[in-house]
Amino acid sequence: MASVSELYDVGWEEMRDKLRKWREDNSRNSEQIVDVGEELISDHASKLGDDVWIIYEQVMIAALDCSRDDLALTCLQELRKQFPDSHRVKRLTGMRLEALERYDEANKHYDAILEDDPTNTAARKRKISILKAQGKNGEAIRELNEYLEQFVGDQEAWHELSELYINEHDYGKAAFCLEELMMTNPHNHLYCEQYAEVKYTQGGLENLELSRKYFSQALRLNNRNMRALFGLYMSASHIAASPKVSAKVKKDNIKYAAWAANQINRAYKVKFMKSLVKLLELLSCFFFCFWQLCKTS
Amino acid sequence: MPIQLTSQAYCKMLLHTAKYPHCAVNGLLIAEKSKEKKKDGHGVPVLCVDCVPLFHGTLALAPMLEVALTLIDTWCKENNYIIAGYYQANERKKDSKPNQVAEKVAARITENFSEAAIVMVDNSRLTVSCSEPIVVIYDHHENKWRNREVTMYASDCAFPLDVQAFWTCHSAKCTLRLNFSPATFPEHVKLCSLNRAILKHSETFKIKVM
Repeated sequence: MASVSELYDVGWEEMRDKLRKWREDNSRNSEQIVDVGEELISDHASKLGDDVWIIYEQVMIAALDCSRDDLALTCLQELRKQFPDSHRVKRLTGMRLEALERYDEANKHYDAILEDDPTNTAARKRKISILKAQGKNGEAIRELNEYLEQFVGDQEAWHELSELYINEHDYGKAAFCLEELMMTNPHNHLYCEQYAEVKYTQGGLENLELSRKYFSQALRLNNRNMRALFGLYMSASHIAASPKVSAKVKKDNIKYAAWAANQINRAYKVKFMKSLVKLLELLSCFFFCFWQLCKTS
Repeated sequence: MPIQLTSQAYCKMLLHTAKYPHCAVNGLLIAEKSKEKKKDGHGVPVLCVDCVPLFHGTLALAPMLEVALTLIDTWCKENNYIIAGYYQANERKKDSKPNQVAEKVAARITENFSEAAIVMVDNSRLTVSCSEPIVVIYDHHENKWRNREVTMYASDCAFPLDVQAFWTCHSAKCTLRLNFSPATFPEHVKLCSLNRAILKHSETFKIKVM
């Protein structure tokens, strides 16, 4: 099979920069990371300098995601050789055991880390992940709540807790978690939009009105958020259709819903037109090349 | 009543599952609307000719689900199809039971189509080689969703051979990373007649998940 550098005509520096970008974006495209990273560390490890260790860690985690235990073990052994007493490497050892479903041994590793360093957040989060992987959502929620009492500012943890509550259909508590996230990230349209969806799902007139307001807020922060646009339409329509509202509220919500519908129609027309334009450009390119070929032959 | 899946519906479902291995995914199954009125409800099995992948990640939130169901229902009515089932693949490998979301959506579908089924993907048997069907089908009996035996059979659709060829071809494409991926909800319904669906407020699929 052709290597990544041959397939995409890239050098090792571009591959290294791509891995850095994926690291910073925290994207979970594990198959691509494994392909690029494996080639980088097998052919160009000496050129990477100190970056090689963080790349080993990134590739190892991606390899676990793709069931590539061979590659994961290779990376882990290199890291162990270089950093023999590191808690970070111990956590990776635990993650490998988790991937092999040896949860008890993994827990022992994490407990050892926590005995040494009770403030190690990574080990605590891995223990909670083990509970989630075993389907023990109730216990995971309990542990995560205890964790958040000590580490109140951990946004990743608040988001994880909100997802756990949504899966357990406890929408009130999920909304609370998202409120914490919105307080610390007032400009993040995704949290607003997800909060609005949770409120909508909870149901009831008050929650629908709140949901409409937060969908609007999400649109203010990012006017291209299609989910927020659809959400605004749905919540305004439901409020307008409710028998408990006054005539003025009904009229206002019909206006909002109509506006949202209009925006959605426009967005779809533009997207359709854009793809049509792209198709026409491609076709015209093709015909031009074909014509050139005909001219020269 | 037995439910049948064409190779297209089956493979699209599995490809959607494979595209997001770390998330739960769900979608709808579409069947052609039968013109003859069934007198006793038995006989001709339901043939799901296609599926519409919906979401991945958090499946238990109502607004987008309602929008999707409304749009797809409108599209089906215009093209003489009907929503005949719901598929879901759970997040964890060993979990292939339908949860509350699956039951609620399927209950809504059943209101419009009485023989609706839930098709759950059995994650633990998902592999590159495709030698047996890896779905578990549930249908509604006496207020409970009960699972039914799944069999492969050779017919005009040539289900097993089609599937093997399709799956081998496309899983190979996935590993070589050529441009193939099944489009999900927003892309799929892009070219539907959105105008009518949006301007007509539909109460049909109001889902209350609580």
